[in-house]
Amino acid sequence: MLDFGVVVANFKFLIVQGLFGVGSFGGGTLRLAIPAIGLGFSIGVFVGLARLARARWISVPATLYVEFIRGVPLVMVIFWIWFIIPQLLKLPIPEYGVALTAFVIFEAAYFGEIVRAGIQSVPRGQVEAATAVGLTFAQTMRFVVLPQAIRNMVPALVTQMIVLFKDTSLASIIGYVDLTKAAQIVNNREIKPFELYLFIAVVYFIFTYSMSLFARRFERRLAS
Amino acid sequence: MKRILAVVVALAVALSLTPPVGAQQDTMAKIKESGVLTIGTRTGSPPFAYINKDNQWVGFSIDLVEQLVKPAVEKEVGRAVKVEKKESTPPTRIPLLSANSVDLIAGTMTDTPQRREVVDFSLTFFYTGAQFLVKKGSPIKGVNDIAGKRIASQQASTNAKIIRERYPQAQLREFPDQPAAFQALLQGQVDAFTNDGIQLAGLKAKAPNPAEWEIVGDFYSEEPYGMAMRKGDARLKAAVDGGLKNGFESGKYFEIYEKWFGPKGELPYPLTATVKAYLLKQIGK
Amino acid sequence: MNYQFNWSVLWSGQSGGWLLHGLLLTLAISVLAWVLAAVLGIVSGAMRTVPWKPLRVIATFYVEFFRNVPFLVWMFFWYFGVPPLLPRVVQDWLFNHSAEFWAGMFALGVYHGARMSEIIRAGILSIPRTQFEAAVAMGLTTFQVYRLIIVPIALRLIVPPATNDSLNLLKNSSVALTISVAELTFQARQVETYTAKAIEALTAGTVIYLVLCLGIAAIMTRVERRFAIPGLIARGG
Repeated sequence: MLDFGVVVANFKFLIVQGLFGVGSFGGGTLRLAIPAIGLGFSIGVFVGLARLARARWISVPATLYVEFIRGVPLVMVIFWIWFIIPQLLKLPIPEYGVALTAFVIFEAAYFGEIVRAGIQSVPRGQVEAATAVGLTFAQTMRFVVLPQAIRNMVPALVTQMIVLFKDTSLASIIGYVDLTKAAQIVNNREIKPFELYLFIAVVYFIFTYSMSLFARRFERRLAS
Repeated sequence: MKRILAVVVALAVALSLTPPVGAQQDTMAKIKESGVLTIGTRTGSPPFAYINKDNQWVGFSIDLVEQLVKPAVEKEVGRAVKVEKKESTPPTRIPLLSANSVDLIAGTMTDTPQRREVVDFSLTFFYTGAQFLVKKGSPIKGVNDIAGKRIASQQASTNAKIIRERYPQAQLREFPDQPAAFQALLQGQVDAFTNDGIQLAGLKAKAPNPAEWEIVGDFYSEEPYGMAMRKGDARLKAAVDGGLKNGFESGKYFEIYEKWFGPKGELPYPLTATVKAYLLKQIGK
Repeated sequence: MNYQFNWSVLWSGQSGGWLLHGLLLTLAISVLAWVLAAVLGIVSGAMRTVPWKPLRVIATFYVEFFRNVPFLVWMFFWYFGVPPLLPRVVQDWLFNHSAEFWAGMFALGVYHGARMSEIIRAGILSIPRTQFEAAVAMGLTTFQVYRLIIVPIALRLIVPPATNDSLNLLKNSSVALTISVAELTFQARQVETYTAKAIEALTAGTVIYLVLCLGIAAIMTRVERRFAIPGLIARGG
């Protein structure tokens, strides 16, 4: 009754095109997820620091940005970017650009919050002691606060990276050929949803579960 | 409370500062610069535009663009042009066009006076009408039998609009695209799927058990297909129409038609004399 | 093409009605899914902390599998993949009663049940072991201990992370548009399709989500303060 042959027949398309992005459709889950995580985290660090800045003209926009992003669904942000960017640039933009921009804008806010919480979890006494010893603000950040903050942040950071990896599936809504869209394309033709979606569920599971196992090992090493 | 207000106000301010979108740069000038013609087309509408068993994006409409429109555009801009395909569906195609995400919609879009207020259409390149796809033996035989029945359609299609406005007693269910609506029919979630006859024929041919399904009903609306462009995009329209005209005159169009709809094509659907005359009449033959 | 702003499309014509309908559907699917998620979360979260291994394994399997797969995939799976496997009678009922709503609700509830489970588990684990031992010493069975003492305390401890996940549930309901549930984001697109005014339509949808999310967050902060247990601070889940 269940026919997994459809998975076997389209395995190459699903994995090579959908997961890795090698093929005539562009696309690729990994091709989107890896830069999105990298850029999202990097910008997130600045966002987190900006929220803690003493200058209000920096901290207020940063806070508004974070509160705004956290109050809307990712799907909505994707639609905004899908419409606004080509209007502004007057050029057709490949789905990849739209998806990457939307994810970076969205995730940077969440990474920013994690960075902020991590920095704020470092006891105030540390900062005071550092100042007493004569370190400048920048030196305090670099040598005292950030190293401790990073250790606190790692669990939440990795969790967020895993979340971002799963969120890339939403890029399929605008036609980006990731693993989910590849499964949809095959399903639209072969009509075997149970087999196909179960298959990609397992593929996603393998990736995210491995990421969380790796994270746990990394945490243990940091703690020692 | 203050927080909500602050965020909403900030949003309002940001929006009001959005620069007014200026005059559209001529599409042909843009194509000349970039060498790329971006078209919006379907992925699940055999045989017009779909992804075949080898996972390639092919179709009748796509061939028309590659073989008739592209040479005309190349001639106009004086350089080689690459055709990029993006997926578009009935609810997304006009927004994609107006947002500059695509330059031309080439799929299964019906040319209607109402749509002409918002976009420009090329010459008609196909002619069909709206019908219903039902399970063999269904009591639905046409548009007059659909009261109280669950009818699937594509969101934002001409079919959905007509059913909603003229036959409100039918239970209309709108789906984001054709495959989703067709799956609903396969699973029995709806009693019929309404779409243009030729597309229903394409779906039926590719269904797991084609013999289980039948297309019923006279055309309850006329559906001439055209390629859509932004309003006022005169140079592109001239090129597209020129390309199609050449295709009609030289016979290339009929070759492409034969490839997809001929006896050995994906979906045998002979070109009737009436339709052929209609197509040729557009270019004054 | 110049973009002409025309905000009146939001209240003239059918747009207002569509958006309202979408909002109501978003709330309906979210509330029902939340109840399902709460039940699944509490039961499986507690199951993961009991001394009996088989229960722990079942709960862990549920949590790990459902949590690690993207929500969109579950949406397609529940809507397209599951109904054909159900008995014909159930299928007929579903298809006559908005199958897409129930599929979406189920997908949302089961997915967030797995996430709630983690939050509840963290809450339970942060309760000092002495509470459990004292209760057992008083003669209560394990089940009674959980029902009367552990779970009620845990629920009060986890208000911040639970609120956070509940808001995520509300936002995730937007993914149901992919299976044609006419919720808020779907309706925003519908308005945009029929009026060609993308910015106005998306703004309307965005503002409604903002008011909902920020409003609920503000209310829950007050609730948390009222129900906080002095002396026990929950770590963020």
